[in-house]
Amino acid sequence: MFASPSSKEVLQCILQHKDNAYRLAYTYVRNPDDARDIFQEATHKALAASKSLKDVSHVKSWFYRIVINTALDFLRKRKNSVPYDEVTLETYGLSTHDAYRDFDLEHAINLLPPLYRSVVVLRYFEDMKIEEIAHVLNENVNTIKTRLYEALRKLRLFMNDENLKGGWQWITR
Amino acid sequence: MDNKMIELKRQYSEIPVPEGLDIIVEEAYRKHIHKKMLRIRWISATAAIVTLFISALNISPSFANASSKWPVIGPLAKVLTIREYKVNESSYKAHIQVPAISDLGDKSLENQLNDKYSVESKRLYTEFMVEVEDLKKNGGGEAGVESGYVVKTDTDRLLCVGRYVVNTVGSSSTTFKYDTVDKENHVLITLSSLFKDEQYIEIISNNIKEQMIARMKQNKNLFFWVSGNGQQESDMNFKSIEKDQNFYINHDNKLVISFDKYAVAPGSMGIIEFVIPTEVLADIQGDQEYLK
Repeated sequence: MFASPSSKEVLQCILQHKDNAYRLAYTYVRNPDDARDIFQEATHKALAASKSLKDVSHVKSWFYRIVINTALDFLRKRKNSVPYDEVTLETYGLSTHDAYRDFDLEHAINLLPPLYRSVVVLRYFEDMKIEEIAHVLNENVNTIKTRLYEALRKLRLFMNDENLKGGWQWITR
Repeated sequence: MDNKMIELKRQYSEIPVPEGLDIIVEEAYRKHIHKKMLRIRWISATAAIVTLFISALNISPSFANASSKWPVIGPLAKVLTIREYKVNESSYKAHIQVPAISDLGDKSLENQLNDKYSVESKRLYTEFMVEVEDLKKNGGGEAGVESGYVVKTDTDRLLCVGRYVVNTVGSSSTTFKYDTVDKENHVLITLSSLFKDEQYIEIISNNIKEQMIARMKQNKNLFFWVSGNGQQESDMNFKSIEKDQNFYINHDNKLVISFDKYAVAPGSMGIIEFVIPTEVLADIQGDQEYLK
């Protein structure tokens, strides 16, 4: 068992997208150390699983999927004092109270449970197509569209509410 | 809304990225290649507190017979732990149990399997020690590995031993490898030897796809990377089993196909098994008819 040709492709892909993969991880865990750990773990997993990558043209979405799954695993473990199942975790979001900065993105992200967060990040920040996002998240296109719509609805409430300007602390309370 | 989104995107692109991500990647790649090359390095004895137990079982079959805590297998054959590798430090832990089959009635088959078990366990231990050494050089970390075996099946005719390796640090990954032995005819059963010709690959693959879709319909929390059921078509999706796919035959004489983590589903689903109904295999089964 020598390094498969695909592991080179995987390496290339990780190097090329490392910054954004890190940022993607960051949107889940919201602190630099954890994001770095997740990036590292996802890199190991991707290399170890590179044999299972059948088509190198999907390497980016495949790697992003590993990053997201690693981040979700991490969040799940951190929560393991309370036995959350995946659905609860992804529907209600997380209540990690890290130090908040006066930072729109952070608040916007906090507002969205991970399930919705992924679609917004991939769609608007990573400029991925709906089909690609479906591939990353292992969902069908319609589910992604529904989630995106829901996410935007939640965000719109947050963005348009004048009362909240400069006073984010009371939504995150 | 659009302006807000552009603003959010700007902020996203400004999330500070720490230095040294490429070093992480290169380090991971180096380790990956290192593992693949199976290069064996000698580890200094001071690297870890290591205890190596070579039990009396090795040399004394009568002791083995008398010892009731070992699983006794079948009318004759037995699977025993003949050796253990242990590392027990605060952040580095390894526990590797090496199985050995005895009284199989065919020395050369027995030796072939036992040599394989011994070599692979030794290699696992060596790789672990290399990793520990690397970690120590780079200022520490955690590493853990556990390996052992289970007797999956033990009937008058069949013995199936599954060996597992679990990485116990980080996200735990488990891999299984199976050996199925025909105790009457003293042969190691391969997947292809169960069937007349190579049609089995397609028949089993199709059955697995059906089972994946059925399981997903039954439980909305399950995902398999498979086409159909409204899922995105993708080259990542499960297409076919390998010719020598990992398998065993269970107590009910049914064929069980096993996939490692990430092979056909997200890692969170772990090891995945499919029991293939013997009816779908009836027409292609070989002469021995192991599957009932």
